[in-house]
Amino acid sequence: MDPIIVLVVDDEEDFLNALVTRLKLRDLKAHGVTTGEEALEFLEQQPVDVVVLDIKLPGMDGLKVLKHIKKKHSRIEVVMLTGHGETESGMEGLSLGAFAYLVKPVKLEELIAHIQEAHKWKIFDRRVPESDSDES
Amino acid sequence: MKRTYRQLMRRMLSSAWAVSLVPLWVLGALIYFYFSAAQEEHLRSELKNMAANRVNALGIFLDERTTMLEVLAHSAPLPELTKPGTLESLFRLLNRRQWSFVDLGIIDTDGKHLVYTGAYPLQHQQYQETKWFQQTMLRGAYVSDVFLGFRESPHFVVAVRKGDSPDAWILRATIDSDVFTWLVRTAQLGQRGDAYIVNREGKYQTPPRFGGEILTVSDLDLKKAPREISVVERVADDGRHLLTAFAWLPKRDWILVIDQDPEEALGALRLAQKAELAILILGSILLAVSIFFLVRVVVQRVEAKDKERANLDAQLAHTSRLVSLGRMAAGVAHEINNPVAAISELAGLNEDLMDEDFVKNQPHGKLFKENLSKIQHHVERVHNVTHRMLGFARRMEPRLDMVNVNDVVNEAFFFLEREAGFRRIKITRELEANMPEIKTDQAQLQQVFMNLLSNALDAVGEGGRVGIESREEGDFVLVMIKDNGSGIPAEFQDSIFDPFFTTKAPGKGTGLGLSISHSIMQNLGGALTFESVPGWGANFIVRLPKGPGLREKGDL
Repeated sequence: MDPIIVLVVDDEEDFLNALVTRLKLRDLKAHGVTTGEEALEFLEQQPVDVVVLDIKLPGMDGLKVLKHIKKKHSRIEVVMLTGHGETESGMEGLSLGAFAYLVKPVKLEELIAHIQEAHKWKIFDRRVPESDSDES
Repeated sequence: MKRTYRQLMRRMLSSAWAVSLVPLWVLGALIYFYFSAAQEEHLRSELKNMAANRVNALGIFLDERTTMLEVLAHSAPLPELTKPGTLESLFRLLNRRQWSFVDLGIIDTDGKHLVYTGAYPLQHQQYQETKWFQQTMLRGAYVSDVFLGFRESPHFVVAVRKGDSPDAWILRATIDSDVFTWLVRTAQLGQRGDAYIVNREGKYQTPPRFGGEILTVSDLDLKKAPREISVVERVADDGRHLLTAFAWLPKRDWILVIDQDPEEALGALRLAQKAELAILILGSILLAVSIFFLVRVVVQRVEAKDKERANLDAQLAHTSRLVSLGRMAAGVAHEINNPVAAISELAGLNEDLMDEDFVKNQPHGKLFKENLSKIQHHVERVHNVTHRMLGFARRMEPRLDMVNVNDVVNEAFFFLEREAGFRRIKITRELEANMPEIKTDQAQLQQVFMNLLSNALDAVGEGGRVGIESREEGDFVLVMIKDNGSGIPAEFQDSIFDPFFTTKAPGKGTGLGLSISHSIMQNLGGALTFESVPGWGANFIVRLPKGPGLREKGDL
């Protein structure tokens, strides 16, 4: 199986780099960007399976980015990262089509498990007839 | 009642009293004085009429007698009249008709009686030097003042002259003073009224009822008496207030004086005035008292409302303070979370990068690995703290959750544990093991426990003991927070739930904690009570209904 391509969006650069490196060490093809705008640009240029998206981002915030992704790349699954006490945003994210939301801080294993789940869902989703995903 | 409310009450009372009592009294005074004035005016005019009437009657009395003498004088020539017996028979004839003549005499130009008939031996009296004789000679007809004369009894003379000097003669009659006095006295009014005549010099011509004998000089100031009939108020020598009418007898130097005691005449009015005054006073008292009670009720209502509002304001201020504190906590937590997440990931990455070789071959490899897991451990601790802070912040918004009261107690305990340890206060917990979850507002409950716990910590001071206990009791869940501090003095026990009531030093406490806790518990459908034995500590009891007890308050 091809490695899962993951794009991590988080403005905290050290966190981002560490996370990306750790994901790579676990055989995922991970990339990292620090803003929503960069993320959308990246998605235009390269194929991505799962986006790990922080809700709090400078400039365009996570929910907006999510909307854009779901509009333009409905096949890409998104795992939201929220701060504690931002469950409302997380719920909103789910209603906008995010695969899951995880409350920070997230254990790496948990995150990877969700990424894999999301990826499986994506593959499964690809197999079902178009009509089911027309909503997005 | 507080000072401001007493002031408010005073102000309301004074204006309400002024508005109601002043018009009442003005009206009362108007009625009082208007009636009084009208009645007095009436009295005066009555007196004036009486004086005019009497003076007229007296004038007629005197005129009649003068005219009668004139008629007699002209009825026969002098020799006829001086014949013995003639005058006598005329005299008898006159007195048969009660003309009140005492005697009758004819006097020649030299002042000697030509003939005399009457009770007194005046046959040989010489009158040339008397005033009446001279006046009669001069004027033709004359009525004298009252005098004692030769007979030593008060009388006055009516005389007419016939013919001219030197053949002139005078027909003279004496009039019984008593008859005249009686006539004057018919003008006496009531028990204390008086009527008499004085001459120009103020000598009594008829005896007054009070304060004087006939022919003594009265205390009247006659210079002021005008020619026409007048009524004046005066004070008599004996201090009586009198209403006095003065009326000059026509063509004579006599003044009819009628005194009236206005108090006697106005007796009925005085009674009416007293009754009015009594009604006025009674009415005023009733009005004033009812206004007082009304105003008191109003002010008490205002005070209660103000208290309620102060309570609400305080609660609102406190809540908004907590909300902003919560937001700040949330902000801080987020700011901390981000670098900590980075630390956590970096440490994780380092752990990932350290393979077995590294640990084994590097001299400090093992220590590295240990340190990294310690870093993770401490990161975990930071996360716990920020979690709680965020939880606290989030729960400032009112919402209902299924809550295990023990969890809330534990959370409050966690927040204050450090402080208690710092002050060497021991907090013990005895929590019911199988506490049922109840639907309530966790944040508000948290606030109540925080308030009660921090109060307990303040109450016991260094080295004290605070106990938290929770248990089920029937349909309720109870949490008790006990301390072994100094307790609540009996005199404060009624007011500890009042807003802004505090026994702490200025700046140390807002006086809102218990007040807010109390109203929160009421809002949650529970209750906050306490028991305290001064000197032995206090026990605050939080009581929450297991079932739906929350007041209907929209979404709360």
